[in-house]
Amino acid sequence: MTAPAATQGAGRSKVMGWVLLSPVLAFFLVLNVIPTFWLIGLGFYKYSLGRGDPKWLGLDNFTDIVNSPEMWGAFGRTLRFMLVAVGFEVALGVALGFLFWGSVKMPGRRLALTLLFTPMVMAPVASGLFWKLIYEPTFGVINAIIQGLGGTKIDFLTNIDWALPAVLFVDIWMWTPFMIMMTLAALGSVPAAELEAAEVDRLSFWNKVRHVILPHGKFILMLGILLRTIDAFKTTDLIWLMTGGGPGNKTELIGVALYRQAFNSLDLGRASAASFILLIIAIAFTSIYLYVLNLSRNR
Amino acid sequence: MAVATNTRNGRTIWYYIALWSVALLFFAPVFWILLTGFKETADILARPPKFIFKPSLDNFQRVLAEAETIPYAINSVWLALGSVIVAVAVSFPAAYAFSRWKFPFTDFLMFLLLSTRFIPAAAAVIPVFQMFNAFGLRGRFGMFILYTSFSIPFSIWILKGFIDGVSERFDETAIVSGASRMHVMMKVVLPQVKPGLIAAFIFNLIFAWNEYIFNFVLGNADTQNIPYALSVNLLAAGGNVDWGFVAAMSSMYVVLPMLMIFFFQRHLLVGMTFGTVRGDV
Repeated sequence: MTAPAATQGAGRSKVMGWVLLSPVLAFFLVLNVIPTFWLIGLGFYKYSLGRGDPKWLGLDNFTDIVNSPEMWGAFGRTLRFMLVAVGFEVALGVALGFLFWGSVKMPGRRLALTLLFTPMVMAPVASGLFWKLIYEPTFGVINAIIQGLGGTKIDFLTNIDWALPAVLFVDIWMWTPFMIMMTLAALGSVPAAELEAAEVDRLSFWNKVRHVILPHGKFILMLGILLRTIDAFKTTDLIWLMTGGGPGNKTELIGVALYRQAFNSLDLGRASAASFILLIIAIAFTSIYLYVLNLSRNR
Repeated sequence: MAVATNTRNGRTIWYYIALWSVALLFFAPVFWILLTGFKETADILARPPKFIFKPSLDNFQRVLAEAETIPYAINSVWLALGSVIVAVAVSFPAAYAFSRWKFPFTDFLMFLLLSTRFIPAAAAVIPVFQMFNAFGLRGRFGMFILYTSFSIPFSIWILKGFIDGVSERFDETAIVSGASRMHVMMKVVLPQVKPGLIAAFIFNLIFAWNEYIFNFVLGNADTQNIPYALSVNLLAAGGNVDWGFVAAMSSMYVVLPMLMIFFFQRHLLVGMTFGTVRGDV
């Protein structure tokens, strides 16, 4: 690969370690560290795309955002969206993961799992578009079913009460398979011998979960939940395509709000300041999460 | 296992029927898209929606006949496959270094790497947009290294887990018998972490294959991919989306990731255990 070969013994080992790390560090520096500082820097300017040079503002963008009810509104909606979506995905995913665990000998299992995992590999752009068609009031299939059952049709994505649940439903449909996958992996990391021992000891299901499965599978499950939480927090493209944040601001999550700010209002300075605040919140949140679960040590 | 093996046949059959129903239920919306792809416009806009209709390949032919489709598809392929291959290739030595050298800052750096996922794409794209404009990076090379950087953090996380699971005895034995570090890494450790490599590859491929926001904002004719094409089709049409066209394109686009999870399913599931597989997945 990139590293020069033939380093032996302890003496030059340290250099070698750095050499092995260097390509990744280079990527990280150029595409993550520099843009992050750039982002922080932009936050101090009034800068709109195509409207002249950036103008120094100091902390105005930051104080504006901290005092902005819209941003806090979007933030609150995002937290609620995240809790409901991840809550359902984890509950359903873990339950279904357990259900599929016992199916190693099922005929066509590989195909069944492929079909089951398809929602998460479908492009969110495509899913977003098509759920729009499925939810459509006049020729959408859900409304046809509702009307067939004698109900009245609902324009899900423009209805104030239904838009958020409708969008949540699509997110849950998309990402429950991911939690099923992580649950299957977590269960797969439990040694077969310990499970047999639990069987012999006639441990109840809950005791088996607590004393046999969790000690081995916890790390994988928690990483799955963490990844889902981060990604739910960022949900943008799916919602942007389905509702654009509407009706009103009912589905305007923080990612959507930032997208609108940056690329509709073209106010890059303010959007940057908002992102930086968000980044701090996200990192603080994750640090607490990792600290509480002590992820790195409970392997 | 626990449920199936100890029960009588009848219950097993019901259990399998239940599992298949769950799988088909999740697949149903995708199946509906596929059906829409085979419908003519009149059938798509029929009320109530039609389940039985005369299938037509018209939409698929129109997608393939569109001059732009093939270049978009080629961009999708080289961007996603190429960037993920490079990402896994640079992540493996880094994961090996993190696992074996035990730098004091390892945990912190691993966390920092993961933290790149925290920023919503809409926000992360702003400084990258500025930077790419300033350095003239908006083109194939810039997009390629950007996509590569998306796939690095998780690759390192998966691979470090697997390499941690390979006993250091292997390294020591090989080095005592005169092998170089490179030899140990490539010939002793690498073959043992193959499921990790495949899992990292597929997991990241799914995201790179479907990436939209960066591509939409930073892309040009050299880099725009199929998700971009799908969204443009929607935007350009205003209210009148050409559903048949979009359905056919989406259906074709999902084939590659579906084939991946079909053929590499075991590797993917074993891979997500981070190298700790000891039972059935």
